[in-house]
Amino acid sequence: MTVAISEPAVTRRAGFMGRKSTRQAVLIWAFLAPSLLIFLLYRILPLGWNVLLSFEAWSPMKPAVFVGWDNYEEMLFDDPVFWQALWNTLFIIGSAPIGIVIALGLALLVNADIKGRDTYRTIIFLSYPLMTVAVAIIWRWMFDERVGLINYIARVWHLVETPIPFLNSFTWALPSVIAANIWQMLGFYMIIILTGLQNIPGTLYEAAEIDGAKPIHRFFRITLPLLRPSIFLCFVIGMLNSVTSFDLVYVMTGGGPGRATEILVTYIYKLGFTQTRFDYAAAVTVVFFILLLVVTWTANRLSGGDAGAVERG
Amino acid sequence: MKRYPRWPIHLALLAVSFVMLVPFYWVLKTSVSGENIFSYPPSIIPQNPIPYYYVDVWYAIPFARFFFNSVVVSAMTVVANVVLNAMAGYALTRHFHGKTLVMMLFLSCMMIPFQATIIPAYLITAKLNLLDTYLGLALPMFSTIICIFVFKASFDAVPRSLIDAAKIDGLSEWKIIWKVMMPLAKSAMATNVILSFIWSWNNFMWPLISTRSPTMQTLPLGLARFLSYQEDTTGALYAFCIMVLAPGLLLFLLAQKEFVQGLTSGATKG
Repeated sequence: MTVAISEPAVTRRAGFMGRKSTRQAVLIWAFLAPSLLIFLLYRILPLGWNVLLSFEAWSPMKPAVFVGWDNYEEMLFDDPVFWQALWNTLFIIGSAPIGIVIALGLALLVNADIKGRDTYRTIIFLSYPLMTVAVAIIWRWMFDERVGLINYIARVWHLVETPIPFLNSFTWALPSVIAANIWQMLGFYMIIILTGLQNIPGTLYEAAEIDGAKPIHRFFRITLPLLRPSIFLCFVIGMLNSVTSFDLVYVMTGGGPGRATEILVTYIYKLGFTQTRFDYAAAVTVVFFILLLVVTWTANRLSGGDAGAVERG
Repeated sequence: MKRYPRWPIHLALLAVSFVMLVPFYWVLKTSVSGENIFSYPPSIIPQNPIPYYYVDVWYAIPFARFFFNSVVVSAMTVVANVVLNAMAGYALTRHFHGKTLVMMLFLSCMMIPFQATIIPAYLITAKLNLLDTYLGLALPMFSTIICIFVFKASFDAVPRSLIDAAKIDGLSEWKIIWKVMMPLAKSAMATNVILSFIWSWNNFMWPLISTRSPTMQTLPLGLARFLSYQEDTTGALYAFCIMVLAPGLLLFLLAQKEFVQGLTSGATKG
């Protein structure tokens, strides 16, 4: 009797366990599914589609034709605008260290034990979370040729005789956009570096001071080496952000004058959505993406670790 | 520590603060100027400040409509982010077949900036018939990998013994998630809300691509369009600018601590 009762109980228990683990797997995958779907739809699929499209001649309402490397050949050999946009993009990447060095200095200053440092931090950080379109309009106005504050100050101090048309000048347009970008990103870099600074154990400095190390040596031997991950994190984020600073360029200059501030992202946008050359735009996107990968990978290697990346939307 | 003079630090920081704040002042000044904004030399202090341009812009553009569109899209994004990221983050704290694959997929997706996907993203959204809709505007931002990892880190920090105790007390998996895990992940949730809100509220490129009708424009798009119609010739543009910036600034000043915390945790944990 007892055996007869307990045996089914045991098998039921085993069956229950089995069902429970499948149920758990189903639950886990059900939890992952929506996010995975979004990323498949808007990251993985676009990546593949881009590559495919870049080897085709296609525009809406027309059948796609495989054309091999045609788009790439046109880009590399017949398209000066592509090279200009690539060059400008590299120029912006190259300017990233300027903002980071300034931010490093600021982080050291606001890390000092002074009155009102929280207020300083807030003020410096204030511009980062703001809408970039509005920031671009603010800086257009600051750089204005006739009544912009920058030209006004330059004239009052007799730095220039005639006002500089910053955003309409082939020389000044790109540096002006970069300046606006640094202005917006400065607070963000500062906060990242500040977090890194606060993670350096104070005992290191005390030990160094007892050993008689001068402040300058403490900075170069302790602070800077230990800040390396934070600084490279800034570089990766700053690079991704500035290279993709579509909003700023679009609103401040629209890529002009001529193509003086055209970057790869604005060029891709124009190719796709004003000239309806989706196929060619896809080829430029592939090159743009490879460029991003190479620079991020290099920065990661240099930082000697995994500098994460923040994406903005 | 040796005492060092403080005034050079203050001097330097005051100078930087000035540079950071003066653009705001300059635009604010322009927006309340009654006179011609192009008179030279520009006045440092507005001569006779009046809110004329604010009234002007209120009648020139459907500000309330833009604002409403922005709120709807951001609200959808924030809710979706909290729910989807919490679910995915929770799943990633468990062991299952294919976990390494999923992790690798997420990490590699992080390397694909949205700007590098615009052409197919547009075509996909068109195929889904979602162009020019709220859902189409919000959908690409429904889940963010950084925020998934923020949730995962927060769930990982919940002590195992607590979950075991809850299991012994007979709580079901759902109950454990809702009664034990979520209350302990409040700061991760705050991070999610703030970051996804800022990203969608400020987003310009995707609305530019995926909307056609003026009634679907969000604030950044409305602002950029206004600029392209009017050029810089009217002070109303700067009044519009201030009206767009004010809510964001206010929100930031109120939730400053959470925002900075969220940002640094998002950036360093990701």
